[in-house]
Amino acid sequence: MIETQLSELAAATEARIAAVTTADELEAIRVEVLGRKGKLAEVSKDMGKLSPEQRGVVGKLLNAAKQTLENALTARKTAFEQAALAARLDREWVDLTAPAPGVGLGSLHPLTQIQAEIEDLFVSLGFTVLDGPEVETEFNNFDALNIPPDHPARDMQDTFWLSNGHLLRTHTSPVQVRGMKKLGPPLRMIAPGRVFRNEEVDASHEHTFYQLEGMMVDKDVSVAHLIYFMKTLLSAIFKRDVTVRLRPGYFPFVEPGFELDIQCLICNGAGCPVCKQSGWVELLPCGLVHPNVLRLGGIDPEEYSGFAFGLGLTRLVMMRYAIDDIRQLQGGDLRFLTQF
Amino acid sequence: MKFSYNWLAEHIDGLTVPPAEIGKLITMKTAECEGVEAHGAHFDHVVVAKVLTAEPIPGTHLAVTSVDTGRYGVKQVVCGAPNCRAGMLTAYVPPGHLGVTTAKLRGVDSDGMLASAKELGISAEDEGIIEFAEGEPGAAIAGCTADTIVEIDNKSLTHRPDLWGHHGMAREVAAIAGRPLKSIPADLPEGAPAVEIEIRDAKLCPRFSALRFENVTVQPSPLWLQQRLESVGLNPINNIVDVTNYLMAELAQPMHAYDAAKLQGGKIIVRVAEEGEPCPALNGQTYTLDSSNLVIADAGGPVGIAGVIGGGPSAISDATTTILLEAANFHAASIRKTSTKLKLRTDASMRFEKSQDPVNTVRALARAKWLLEQVSPGIRLVGGLADLYYPLPEVAPISFDLSWMRRKLGKPDLTAAEVTAILTSIAFGVSEADGHFTVTVPSWRATKDISLKDDLVEEVGRMIGYGNLTPVPPLVPSVVPPLPPERAYLRGLRQLLTAQGYTEVYNYSFVNEAQATELGLPIEDHVRVVNPIAQGQELLRTSLLPNIKRNINDNAREYESFRMFEIGKEIHARGQELPEEIPHLAAVSFERHGDGVANLFELKRLAGTIAPSCTVEPAEARPFEHPFRSAKVILRNEAIGRLFEFHPAMVETGRAAVLDLDLVKVQALRTAAGKYKPLRRFPTSAFDLTVPTAERELAGTVLGFIREHAGSLALDVRYLYDYKGDKGRSMTFRITLGAPDRTLTGDEVTAIRSQLLAAVAAKYQ
Ligand SMILES: [Zn+2]
Repeated sequence: MIETQLSELAAATEARIAAVTTADELEAIRVEVLGRKGKLAEVSKDMGKLSPEQRGVVGKLLNAAKQTLENALTARKTAFEQAALAARLDREWVDLTAPAPGVGLGSLHPLTQIQAEIEDLFVSLGFTVLDGPEVETEFNNFDALNIPPDHPARDMQDTFWLSNGHLLRTHTSPVQVRGMKKLGPPLRMIAPGRVFRNEEVDASHEHTFYQLEGMMVDKDVSVAHLIYFMKTLLSAIFKRDVTVRLRPGYFPFVEPGFELDIQCLICNGAGCPVCKQSGWVELLPCGLVHPNVLRLGGIDPEEYSGFAFGLGLTRLVMMRYAIDDIRQLQGGDLRFLTQF
Repeated sequence: MKFSYNWLAEHIDGLTVPPAEIGKLITMKTAECEGVEAHGAHFDHVVVAKVLTAEPIPGTHLAVTSVDTGRYGVKQVVCGAPNCRAGMLTAYVPPGHLGVTTAKLRGVDSDGMLASAKELGISAEDEGIIEFAEGEPGAAIAGCTADTIVEIDNKSLTHRPDLWGHHGMAREVAAIAGRPLKSIPADLPEGAPAVEIEIRDAKLCPRFSALRFENVTVQPSPLWLQQRLESVGLNPINNIVDVTNYLMAELAQPMHAYDAAKLQGGKIIVRVAEEGEPCPALNGQTYTLDSSNLVIADAGGPVGIAGVIGGGPSAISDATTTILLEAANFHAASIRKTSTKLKLRTDASMRFEKSQDPVNTVRALARAKWLLEQVSPGIRLVGGLADLYYPLPEVAPISFDLSWMRRKLGKPDLTAAEVTAILTSIAFGVSEADGHFTVTVPSWRATKDISLKDDLVEEVGRMIGYGNLTPVPPLVPSVVPPLPPERAYLRGLRQLLTAQGYTEVYNYSFVNEAQATELGLPIEDHVRVVNPIAQGQELLRTSLLPNIKRNINDNAREYESFRMFEIGKEIHARGQELPEEIPHLAAVSFERHGDGVANLFELKRLAGTIAPSCTVEPAEARPFEHPFRSAKVILRNEAIGRLFEFHPAMVETGRAAVLDLDLVKVQALRTAAGKYKPLRRFPTSAFDLTVPTAERELAGTVLGFIREHAGSLALDVRYLYDYKGDKGRSMTFRITLGAPDRTLTGDEVTAIRSQLLAAVAAKYQ
């Protein structure tokens, strides 16, 4: 009697489990059949009325039915969960080709970049990096560099004079004197920075630009050392082997003074419009430090000698990126600056 | 400065270097050549021609001529010159030269051109076609030759007074080419000085030399002289003035010719000008002078501004029959000062300010006498040389050892013979024994150019050719250079800013008055530029903000939102001392739309990444700031900068939040990581606390109050959120408690909580 009842219940429930369409319906069946007050529980209540032999048989049947139904329920439940997960994941579709929100990377000014690159190069060669003020004394900017008042060389550098009697430095060379006093011989130093010339501004002339002054002082520093050093340095800067030549140039703070030319990187010396068909491009002034300048820096010119050079950072930036209007560098236009 | 190849060649015995190569040689050994150009190549083809007939073309100013050109035959040429007439001798330019072609003018064939002196490049004369007194049709134009002009950069001649004339440059070329230089005699006949000279200050005028001539004919110079001056950029004027200019261009000695009849008294006085003394100059201007200007004066007053320009009334005119010819030497700095002050740079002042050689004056006069006799037939010298000379202190002979010269150049195989040969070739006196040199300096190099042995390194080096030195790596000690911490810091800061999306701008160190006024920056606080050449450069910036504001408005036209920054120096006046230069950061976050709050908080977060543990405190707004959106940024109780939004009147197109930090202070107050703290081993407890507050209560203030009253076991007090409802505003905080050595009991936590609640209730209810 109970056996029949049990098997009918199990079969009917199995059919219902197979037929449910929602997880809620499945749960309702579980409570109705397998719950504490469910139908199977009711059946087991009636077992007390049975003989012990019968009880053993029915008990086994009961457990088997329970196990079967639980398995069926679990299987269905898992299926529902997997379907739900799949549906959720499907809903979570994302278009990853859409732009990422938030802020992108900013960019460093090209002068900052080239300055850092060249500073690193010099530091690797044992040079100290020094800084100097934008406003300088007339003495440091001119007299200490062997350019006394009313010297015609002052004409080479149109100067912004200031109300306090000082001036905006026309070159980074004043840092030479500051550096010699600070470091003492032997020394290797560079001083990158902003310099000023009182000139009309156009596409190729600026009143504010960037230079890098370099100096090495040691015993017996010679012109041959200078040539070697500049060739090595410029090859590193231009990332290729460069050919350099020195020719006489007049700068009162060096003796002898040179203009350093590099063989044109566009035509390799064959002649082109960039080098005005000469095969050479004037790049930087340099020379052996004038004994008067060494003396003013507290260094005995009989014991030490040195070389100095001035590298135009603005010019290098313009060469590297083929910038044809110098004014863009300080124009603050993000359309230009975000390109670097 | 322009140099004529022909002129240089006249000074060198057997120059064989071709014109095309001379520029490069000069560039490599002496001074920078800016260009080499053919001049007057047409003189190889232009001929003297006789006008046979000249018939007017009706209705035009033109005439059709028939000319006998000798070499080219009889030609028909149309000519518009007013002086064109039958029988005259003029110049004929065949087609193919000076742009002349065979053409039809008013329907008449014209085969070639009759040319003016200007068209021929002889002088500026263009009133009519050139007219010759004599000559055979077909002959070349006498005295006019094809030439090559070498242009040298004036800057590279700054230290070389001798190279401001052809003779000096010829000396260089001769040395480079290994040919002898021809000398120029300085002999003058003996005679009583033709004029009395008084020099009041020998420092300002070390030498004044003069000659007097009579029976002078003032007329145009011969063509060769005109063409030569024209070729180097000097205008032919008349034979007398042309001679002075010729010698200036040849010997670098500026000269001046006075009409002797116009000079008053028998004496020339070289003195400083009196205050306010006028001097009418030959350019038609009258200059008002002072005691910083040196003048040449006669009994009647200044007749010239020494070394700069001659006087007007005593200038050479067609009526001049006697002249006084001056060749003097003046102190370079004084001449430069005068010409700068009068804004009058002349060919003479340009030369004198380079420290000319006083020895040169007499040689120039001797050469002038020789030349005047050619260009003014019948001219006669009156008396002899007038010459007052206070020689400059001599430059002592320079000594050096061969070994020293070798070390300076880095050329160990340099020989004594090479050094001697080079220095001798450029006129130094050399004596050498056992590698020890004693060198005397020629007068034209001794005025300023050369006084040290180092100066001789250049002479030897350039003549050897720097390309002949073998590059040698320097031997230097290997040391780690001290990296200045400021530079490393600024570099890191720039990286941080770009990583957070900010793009770097560079602005000028200048602002204009309007910009400063607009931001309420007191004009008088700025260091002022005394001589700006363009607008916008009057003041040095005391803040990065005026230019940043301009950047914002410029870029707002192109972008809906952007972030940018500048690291630059504020320049603050300190009286006569050098100003204080303080590096600042100005960072900007701009949005065209929206309420701007997010931009401000973004910059607050940026401040926190640059200066961790900094706080923000409301501050009274400056005129350019949003009155309710401005604050000070505080680090370790010190203000390090400012966080604000620009006032809408400043940035009309959107919201611009700005962070402005003093980077000296940020660096000084920043702390390095200290000793490590062990990690917590016992659990913490936390509770939330909601505080009802006034509408504009500051979260920072309430947070501070809670921190202060939460006791020593409060590990963290954190602002969670803000609520604004019908009953007003409230803020909720989370307080985390913990002890380093145990777990707090429930009673302990409750006690702390009750205590804090009571304190908060007392203050905020
Ligand atoms: Zn090239």
